[in-house]
Amino acid sequence: MRMRIVTALACMGIFAMGCAQPAKRPASGFLDKLSDYGFFTGTLKDLQPAGRVHPYELATPLFTDYTVKKRFIVLPEGSTMQYAQAGPMDFPDGTYLVKNFAYRDSLGKEVLLETRLLHKDPADGNWKVMNYKWNAQQTEAEKWITGDRLPITLTDDAGRHVSTHYQIPNTNDCKRCHASAGKLIPIGPKARNLNHLGQLEKWAAAGILQGLPEMSKVEKFPVWNDSVHYTVNQRARAYLDVNCAHCHTKGGDADNTGLFLEYGQETPAHLGILKGPVSAGNGAGGLDHDVVPGDPANSILHFRMNSVEPGTAMPELARTIVHREGVDLIAEWIRQLPKSK
Amino acid sequence: MKYSIPLLALALAAGCSAPEKKSADGYKQTLVFGPGEEAKITEAFLTLTDSSAVELKAGTYKFNNLSLVQLKHIKISGAGPDKTILDFSGQTQGGEGIRVAEVKGFTISGMTIRESKGDLIKVNKSEDVVFRDLHAIWEKADSTSGGYGIYPVLCNNVLVENCYAQGASDAGIYVGQSNKAIVRNSKAYKNVAGCEIENTTNAEVYDNEFYGNTAGFLVFDLPDLSQRGGQVKAYNNNIHDNNERNFAKSGSFGTTWGVGNAAPGCGVIIQATSNVEIYNNKIINNNSAAIAMVSGFFVDAKAGEKINANYFPVSQNVFIHDNTIEMAAAFPEPVYHHHTGQILVGIEKALGKRIPPIVYDGISTNVITQENKVNPDSICIRQTGDNLLVNADGMNIGKPNWKPSTDMQPFICK
Repeated sequence: MRMRIVTALACMGIFAMGCAQPAKRPASGFLDKLSDYGFFTGTLKDLQPAGRVHPYELATPLFTDYTVKKRFIVLPEGSTMQYAQAGPMDFPDGTYLVKNFAYRDSLGKEVLLETRLLHKDPADGNWKVMNYKWNAQQTEAEKWITGDRLPITLTDDAGRHVSTHYQIPNTNDCKRCHASAGKLIPIGPKARNLNHLGQLEKWAAAGILQGLPEMSKVEKFPVWNDSVHYTVNQRARAYLDVNCAHCHTKGGDADNTGLFLEYGQETPAHLGILKGPVSAGNGAGGLDHDVVPGDPANSILHFRMNSVEPGTAMPELARTIVHREGVDLIAEWIRQLPKSK
Repeated sequence: MKYSIPLLALALAAGCSAPEKKSADGYKQTLVFGPGEEAKITEAFLTLTDSSAVELKAGTYKFNNLSLVQLKHIKISGAGPDKTILDFSGQTQGGEGIRVAEVKGFTISGMTIRESKGDLIKVNKSEDVVFRDLHAIWEKADSTSGGYGIYPVLCNNVLVENCYAQGASDAGIYVGQSNKAIVRNSKAYKNVAGCEIENTTNAEVYDNEFYGNTAGFLVFDLPDLSQRGGQVKAYNNNIHDNNERNFAKSGSFGTTWGVGNAAPGCGVIIQATSNVEIYNNKIINNNSAAIAMVSGFFVDAKAGEKINANYFPVSQNVFIHDNTIEMAAAFPEPVYHHHTGQILVGIEKALGKRIPPIVYDGISTNVITQENKVNPDSICIRQTGDNLLVNADGMNIGKPNWKPSTDMQPFICK
C-alpha cells in the first residue's frame, strides 16, 4: 500500500518538478505481490501450500525476535533437488525458497510481517533475493526493497510481552548474510539441518530428493533447545553455527574478524577462545577476549549477544531484542568450557 | 515499483531530458538527489546497477544507514565536505553508517559523514577503493563514538586522500588486512588513534597531519587474522600534539590487543609489524614517546603461542631516519592514568632523566630463539641528537633486575 502512495507521490513530483531523475530500476524476475506467484491456495495468510510447494522445518533455526517462521521449498515442475553432504542442498534452477515471518501479538495471535524469497534465477543460475511486506489487513504482501521498522508488541517464548521495532531487512541486508565468497547462497536448508522430523526420507520417497544416502550416513544437526538428546556443547555449537556462522566464516561478511563459528570449527582461537577482538571497538565492552572458558561475564561473545545497542549487538541484523534462551545456552556453554593452563 | 517504467516513458514524453546523465568519467548513469529525498536515495543504493554514479547535492541528509553490495564501478559524490552532510545519528541497527561490501571500483568523495553508532564507513572485501575529500566526524570525542571513521578492510588498492577524521573511539582512519594502500594529504584529530595501518601490506602514508589524538599514527599486526602486514612506509607527515586521554572505552582502557593500550602522548607506535620505514616526518610534542616500538609480548605474555604464517609478535627490519623529533620536558597529564602510560612514567623514573623520544621494548626474537644476539631484528635508527632511545628491557619490567638502558649503539644503522 505505502509503496503505491510513494510511487504516486514520486509521479506527481516528476510533473511538478519537470525534470527530476527517478532511479532506474533493473528488471527483476520478482513479481509485485506474493499472491502473484500462486505458492498458496485458499486464503493467502493461511499459507496453505499448493502442489510443488513443500513445507520444511530446521532442527535449529535462526533467532529473529521470537517470530514464528513457515518455510517452503518451491521446485519447478518435474524437477528434483539433489542431496549434498556439505552446504545447502543442490536445488534446481528456478527453485524458490519461501520464508514467512509472523509474530505472536499480545493475545498470542500470529500476525504476518514479511515473506522473504530466495530465487535461483534460471537466467544465470545465481540466487537472488527479494522481500515482501504484509499489509495491515493481512490480505497481501507486496514487494518491498527498502526494509522497514515496525513497532510491535510481541509475546516471547516464555509468554512475556515485549515491545520493539521489528526490522524488516532491505535487500542488501539480505545479501549480507547470504553472501559467500561474492555469491549468494541459501543458509538454512543444509541436509544436516533438514535431517529432522523425517523430512529427508519423506522427500526421497516422494521422488523430489535424489541421492539421499543411507540415513546412518547423513549428519544430524543438534536441536538447540533439546536438552534431552543433545549436550550443551552440541546445542551451543549448533546455535552458533546457525545464528553466527553465515557471517563468521571464511568468505563470509565477518571474514575480517578471524572469529569463525561453524559447527565443525576446531581451532580454539577461531572459536574465540582466549582470542582478542580485532575491530570491535566499543562493541567489545572493554573485555579482553571473545570467549573466556568458565567466565561468560568476561566473554565478548556473551556480552554482544546480550545487547541491543547498534554497534554492539550481535548478530547485527535480524534481532532487535535479546534472545534470552539463546544467551542462557551460550553462557552455560562458556561456563562448561575447560579452562586452559 | 511497477509504475516506474510507464512513469519513465511519461517523463520522457513530457519533454524531459533523459534521467540518465552521461558522465565524463565513464559511468553509464548518474543519479542526482537533493536533501529530503532520503527514501529515494536509500532505494537507489539498493537497486543500483554496475557503473553508476550518485550525486548528492548540497544540504543535510538524515539516514539510518546506507549500503552497497556486490557491484562494479560505483561513485558516490557530494558538493564538498562542508556542503553535503550525511547524518547517521538515527542509526538503529547494524555496525556502520555506510556499508560497502564486495564492490570493484568504489569512490566516495566530497561530503561529510557523521554521528553513526558504529563505524562511519566500512568498505569490506572490495577493490580499487577511493576515499577523497571525505570528512568522517563524531562531534563528541568520547567512548560513545563509533570505532572507526574511515574503515577499509580486506581490500586491494585503497586510496585515502584529502580526508579528515575526528572523534573515533578507535582509529579515525583505519586500513585493515588490505594490500596496497595509500593515505595522503589527510588529517586526523581527536581520535584515540589518528591513523592506523593494521595487518596491511605495501602501505604508504605521507603528507598527512595527525594531531590532538591519544596517539598519532599506529602500525600494528594482530594475531589470528587473515594475513601478516608489512612493507609500510610513513614519510613527510606532521604528527604533533597527540597527548589526549585514551577514551577507547569508559570504565576501562579497552582490551589486551586493542587501541586501548595506546598511551596518551605517543606520536608513532609500531607493534609486531616488520619492514617498516618511518622517515622525514615531523614528530613534535607527543610528550610520552615520539616513537614507540613494542612487540606482541608487551601486551600479551602468550603472544608466542600465536605465531603462525600470519603473525609474528616481534617487529623486524624497522628503519627510522631523518625525522624531526621534539618532545616537551614533561609527560602529558593523562599518561599518569593509563596502564601502559604508567610504564613509560616508570621508565623515566628508573632512568632518572627525561625519557628519550624513541622507546623500544627491547623484546627481540632472542626471546623466541633463546639466544643472546645483539639487535637480532635489524632495528636501525639514523637520527641526530642525544638521549634518543631507551631499550625498556620489557621482559623484566616489575622485576628486581629490571634495567632500562639508553645505550643506542646496537641500533645505529650500519
